[in-house]
Amino acid sequence: MKHQGRLIVFSLAAGIVYTLAYYFDWSFLRYDLGESRFYFSAKETSPGPSILWYGWLALAALAGVVGACAVPPRLTARLSPDLIWLVPMLLITTALIYEMRWFM
Amino acid sequence: MLMALLIVHGLLAVALLGAITHQALAASVPRTEPRTRSFFARFRGTDATAYAGAVVGLFLVVAAMGAVLYPRYRLAVRPLLQTMDLRAANGAFELKEHFAALGLLLLPAYWVSWRQPLAPEYDAARIGLTWILTFMVWWNFVVGQLLVAIKGLFP
Repeated sequence: MKHQGRLIVFSLAAGIVYTLAYYFDWSFLRYDLGESRFYFSAKETSPGPSILWYGWLALAALAGVVGACAVPPRLTARLSPDLIWLVPMLLITTALIYEMRWFM
Repeated sequence: MLMALLIVHGLLAVALLGAITHQALAASVPRTEPRTRSFFARFRGTDATAYAGAVVGLFLVVAAMGAVLYPRYRLAVRPLLQTMDLRAANGAFELKEHFAALGLLLLPAYWVSWRQPLAPEYDAARIGLTWILTFMVWWNFVVGQLLVAIKGLFP
């Protein structure tokens, strides 16, 4: 049960951080298309067009792990099971609204 | 090599689509008596719990293949979409990218909700999350197929 709670916290925290990452363009890792290599955004500037998606995903996974380890088990046990689908529903809606700009 | 990967990516996506659609329907609609079973009743009458492991495994593999193929898309397909001014197609792919990531990150919660023995307190979460993942998988599959064929669709 303890591990199950941690897995749920991982998913919720990582999903929220992924959404914040693409919204605010937080990416510590970029993939440069011209040179076919990864750059750490803080240290180097990628010279050409780059993909941020890998960085958003890595950041979200990292945040999920931190969240899962940091939240005490007694708190994870009190999480409402409905959050498991309500939070993702909210994240999908946010993505749809954010990307609406392409369809107008 | 990338062409082979794209084909396998598509084929495994079909398997994922089948598995999660079966599971979502089986989890949502109560089983009917065998005598009254139509094709759809049989389709939804499978054991929904049996699909969870396959869905997680297939999602991971399909998403990993998509991540490998992504730079090729950005170099070969996206400039074409921009040249042809197909903004909606570009946006559809942006959503596909987000749904792939969110789906991957939600897999641990999905796995917990389907763990045996099924916990009654997770009933609503199980069905809700499975339908959310089903929507993501369908979106990603349809958009992926359209983008592969986009040059033929918009000559």
